[in-house]
Amino acid sequence: MLNRLKKKLGLVVAMAVLGVVMAACPASAVIQGVTGTAFNFTAKPGYIYGGDGVSIYIWGFANGTGVVQYPGPTLLLHEGDNVSITLTNSLTTNVSMVFPGMSNVAVTPGGSGVPGIITTECPPAGTVTYTFTAANPGTYYYQSGTDPALQVEMGLFGAIVVYPTGSFPASPGVLSQPGHAYNDTQGDSAYDREYLLIVSEMDARIHRAAERGIAPDTNGFFSVYWFYNGRNMPDTMGAAGDPMLPTQPYNALFQMHPGEKVLYRIVGIGRELHPVHPHGNHTNLIAQDGRLLSSGPANGADLRKRLFTIPTTPGGTYDTIFEWTGANVGWDIYGHAPGDPMQPNEFAADHGKPFPTPIPHQQDLMPGQLYSGSPFLGGSGALPPGEGGFNPTGAYMHMVHDHVEKELCNDGIFPGGAMTIMAIEHPSVPIP
Amino acid sequence: MNKTALWFIRGAVFCALMYAVPSMAIVDTYCPSDLNGDGISDDPDVVCRHITGGDGFAKMADGKDLYVFGFGDATGVPDGEVMMTNMLGANTPAPTIVVKEGQEVYLTLSNVGMANRPDLFDAHSVHWHGFPNASVYYDGVPDASVAINMGASLWYYYKAMDPGTYMYHCHVEVVEHMEMGMVGNLFVTPLQDGTAFDDPTDSVVKNFTKFAYNDGDGTTGYDVDKLIQLGDFDSRFHDASISVQPLPFDTLDGDYHLINGRGYPDTINPDPIVNVDGNPYQPEDSLVTVTQGQRVLLRVSNLSATEYHTLRSLGIPMKVIGRDARILRTGGDPAGTDLYYYTSSVTLGGGQSYDVLLDTTGVAPGTYFLYSRNLNDLNNKDERRGGMMTQIVVQ
Repeated sequence: MLNRLKKKLGLVVAMAVLGVVMAACPASAVIQGVTGTAFNFTAKPGYIYGGDGVSIYIWGFANGTGVVQYPGPTLLLHEGDNVSITLTNSLTTNVSMVFPGMSNVAVTPGGSGVPGIITTECPPAGTVTYTFTAANPGTYYYQSGTDPALQVEMGLFGAIVVYPTGSFPASPGVLSQPGHAYNDTQGDSAYDREYLLIVSEMDARIHRAAERGIAPDTNGFFSVYWFYNGRNMPDTMGAAGDPMLPTQPYNALFQMHPGEKVLYRIVGIGRELHPVHPHGNHTNLIAQDGRLLSSGPANGADLRKRLFTIPTTPGGTYDTIFEWTGANVGWDIYGHAPGDPMQPNEFAADHGKPFPTPIPHQQDLMPGQLYSGSPFLGGSGALPPGEGGFNPTGAYMHMVHDHVEKELCNDGIFPGGAMTIMAIEHPSVPIP
Repeated sequence: MNKTALWFIRGAVFCALMYAVPSMAIVDTYCPSDLNGDGISDDPDVVCRHITGGDGFAKMADGKDLYVFGFGDATGVPDGEVMMTNMLGANTPAPTIVVKEGQEVYLTLSNVGMANRPDLFDAHSVHWHGFPNASVYYDGVPDASVAINMGASLWYYYKAMDPGTYMYHCHVEVVEHMEMGMVGNLFVTPLQDGTAFDDPTDSVVKNFTKFAYNDGDGTTGYDVDKLIQLGDFDSRFHDASISVQPLPFDTLDGDYHLINGRGYPDTINPDPIVNVDGNPYQPEDSLVTVTQGQRVLLRVSNLSATEYHTLRSLGIPMKVIGRDARILRTGGDPAGTDLYYYTSSVTLGGGQSYDVLLDTTGVAPGTYFLYSRNLNDLNNKDERRGGMMTQIVVQ
């Protein structure tokens, strides 16, 4: 009786935790951003939180007159869109916007623009309208074209996703839809889910200098914070739009089911190279800088590369497709008995094969907080008191992280930095 | 059934369970195909390896004794002797594990503790970096699975289905444990090995019997393969560790630049480098000696915790035939179209691997260099003319 009660209590607790996680998730399985073709941005100062809780002074873009954000609002566009962005400058220095990879970039006459080195700049309290055509589908970004060594470092950048005609989230900001990233007919760019991964870094000294009005040393750059979508681990794994992180609205927590194709749109926005290593499987790198890796217009992504580490370059974008089924591990990842029904996309040859090794005694193990207590997908098991608890669905929580390992720190504190999780969920667990 | 009988049954089940669970805190090799108890598999389709995680010392090329963490080899060592033989047994780099495609691998990891840091009680794990379709339990990330405490053993299982050049490393406190040296390599050799193919794309007729991948045409064939593991140690970090000082994560920046755990000229010393404890724990040179006409497969990987590296070949062209443990054909598929290319350098970030062929046909006998073009890598800390450089001798 007592056991039964305990079991029930355990289940109730598990369901409650699951409920909390699920309630937090709907906004996570999607690329959040702004839609339309006419945007108003404001460049302004503000603060973000490092993963160590420290406030960091930034300059960033805000949507309209809203809150400044790091990174700036992600533009979700259709192929062929003629886009205008009216930039208002609330900083005390000139600022501007450039759109690498976009066509017909121009400045609308009549604003308060002044000539700059790279593009027309917007003086303090001024307004400039930039226009461009999103001629090709793919993953792009925008950034400041004024003193980029300082201003991009300070946070004046954001991602642009251009969807091919006919492939667009039905309800942007709510649900990620299956689609195709490019106009190939071979299906090389087809995906079931897509996620954005903007990789950036910071030298905290530059931000402290800018905050105090001291001339920042952008030449002696030495990064100490590394970000995915503007957050350090563990904040990367928090909910999108978390009110605790008002200026960092985008999270980087990924979910999928076995057999699905997940498109990672990776943007290397900073000045460093970052090798992004998704645990769990190789990925198919299908495009770079908004162009399919293709030998010709009719050949799909025939020059795609199969990589377990995707090296990003400064200002480069990478579209890579991750799949995972558990094929060929040599044992049944669901813990099935031979006669049990198959799960969707299960690797048939391993069906019913037993788990191949003993599991050491609990006291000899250091279990992780994301460990369900069971080696099986969707499983759960006993854990020592106080351990685990962050994986109520028994997902396979595969890490995605920068493999310059020192980048897993927040200003000298491990763990942190450019790290997050891809949760491969049991097929019966709904993903919003 | 009466209550007493029920309690009796419960007691019996409890006792049975007590004996059924593995005993606690003991080094214990798991090798189901070992028939005679020597810890070595007696089935050709199964490989058993036993490695240990712990600490020790490495000798840098300028004579500096550097405190390191690392893996040691305990394969075949009786369980009862592993703590004694492998304590302070950190190898730099970790023992290279070579398995054949299709083999099942049982890997025992025993944690022998940090003899020089009795204040530490770190667990260890093995992350097979790049293993396709990995489960989390055997992936070695402690946050999402389990790691092993001191004095005990954890058992990993892998079915090696995809040939290529892989890495393995500890993923516990990964910045510290990788920087301290818990990094190694893992090669999976293809089923095609043993069949003879003449590479149709080269000018001479020669039947290769060893290949990097199942290419079907001999284009990845080689005579000699060599581990080229790029890495860096930041001696300030290691010195802080042995002095029980706060670790300078924020200023991490390598000052010893290594190929296979050694700086030049130790890289070309064919003998093991003996450390301050008198142990030969840096066994891997990177001197390549070949007869003119032979083909070399460089299995290049970057396991640095801090830096990108550009490895350059002076005098012998590089032909890149694989990347990240996949043949360099469209989609990484042996049935795809060749995307092989000739170059004189490869650039790798942490966690990347390249398979590079050096063909010495027509190359004049002599000494050729393989070195990092990141020029500050050519130092053993303050000593110049060292670091990340090695030689290829064509006879």
